[in-house]
Amino acid sequence: MFKKGVLRELFDSLFSKSWPMWIGGIILALFNILLFVIKYPWGANAGYVNIGQNLFQWLGATNIGTGTPINLHAVALLNIFIILGAFVSSLFSREFGIRVAPIGELIKGLVGGALMGIGATVGIGCTTGGFFSGVAALSGGALFLSLGFLLGTIVALKYLLWEMEALPNISMGKSCTLLPGTKPKTGWQRWLGWILIVVVLWVVSGYTSQGDSTMKVLGWHILLGLMLGIILQRSRFCIVRAFREPFMTGEAGATTAIILSMVIALLGFTVIKYFGVGNAGELSVRAIEMKSVYANFWLRALIGGFIFGIGMTIAGGCAVGTLWRAGEGHVKLWFSAIGFAVMAPVSKGFIVPFVVKLLPESLRKELFLPDVLGYTGAVILVLFILFLWYVFAKWNEKTGKFSAL
Amino acid sequence: MQIDQTLDCKGLSCPMPIIKLSKTMKKMKTGEILEMIGTDPGSKSDVPAWCSKTGNEFIEQNNDDGAFIFYIKKG
Repeated sequence: MFKKGVLRELFDSLFSKSWPMWIGGIILALFNILLFVIKYPWGANAGYVNIGQNLFQWLGATNIGTGTPINLHAVALLNIFIILGAFVSSLFSREFGIRVAPIGELIKGLVGGALMGIGATVGIGCTTGGFFSGVAALSGGALFLSLGFLLGTIVALKYLLWEMEALPNISMGKSCTLLPGTKPKTGWQRWLGWILIVVVLWVVSGYTSQGDSTMKVLGWHILLGLMLGIILQRSRFCIVRAFREPFMTGEAGATTAIILSMVIALLGFTVIKYFGVGNAGELSVRAIEMKSVYANFWLRALIGGFIFGIGMTIAGGCAVGTLWRAGEGHVKLWFSAIGFAVMAPVSKGFIVPFVVKLLPESLRKELFLPDVLGYTGAVILVLFILFLWYVFAKWNEKTGKFSAL
Repeated sequence: MQIDQTLDCKGLSCPMPIIKLSKTMKKMKTGEILEMIGTDPGSKSDVPAWCSKTGNEFIEQNNDDGAFIFYIKKG
């Protein structure tokens, strides 16, 4: 690209080595605060639901899906451009390659994705919208969603270890890698990356040049999606790891990175909610306070989180982890994305109404922690829980008490 | 370098390569060398990290035809 000089040096420092996950965490927290100011805290589930609904609508199954067109749905656009950003980033770093996993793994991707689709609609929220943003948004339900993720991850990890002993053939068999960026004569991949960036910027300007403020917001989602995809791929930011790793290898790096990120987001979100920053002209301060707080406290969140936790561990990526790995070329995660997008609207239409009927309202209510504890108490509670999680992960890293490997 | 065992993790993504690596290494003797072949870019940092955590020696990583090849000595 650049033969010599400072630009080449900059490019190499960004794309020759992976970034530590905690650096990704800091930047993602800042981006999450930006997303909150522009429209709504970061999430991915609503985008999967929307894409799935459009798919069903296109197939004629309008009883399942009639969603906003994808090109007008902020979260769907964010998801799509995260995939594209990760694709560009993997092209730049020569890490792209279409990696076709053995058939058993592809099925696990599909099943894991479908379970995430069910879990995210039942529990209201995925690891990003429900947990990463939800906890920072001082949602009571988010705490139980997190507990559900943790329990689901432990159960699914036990399954994976059992599968390795009892059914080793699932992860064996034919596999291949197409167009790997590590091969010689793949310089065109970097050029393709630059072309895609130009195309995305052109699309963004198509949105932002319109007078309508809704379109400007969508344009910004496309731009932020592209950048999120790049950051996610470079730092290999993975929420599954944060939950799983203490129970697998015992490493605490991913857990620490997520906790750091959430503390920063917590600070930003609290300021936004406390002062009613952002589109206060259109919304009441109360409406801003209740963003990312859903009617899932507490059992609904726990059940959904548990199902989601199993799905993300089997798939090897949560809602967002699936997106950036799909962009990097892991076909297993393509199947996970498809499973998620297909199952989420089906679950929303058929499983969620059943769950809602089954659970009394007291087990699925909106709980904004400051309503009970005040802002100070709520922030202290969340910080304390994050602190305990950190101490546990670090203690376990040293002692290996809970690590299976 | 004499390779005692080869582990094929091509096409697999996180966490499968590390689970397989751990299982294979458990059955090897101290001083034996494992050659692990994988295609997940995540393995580039995961495998050395796992080695240092578990007291195994990470010897080196080579690239070949779109795959990463890791050499690990059982510690």
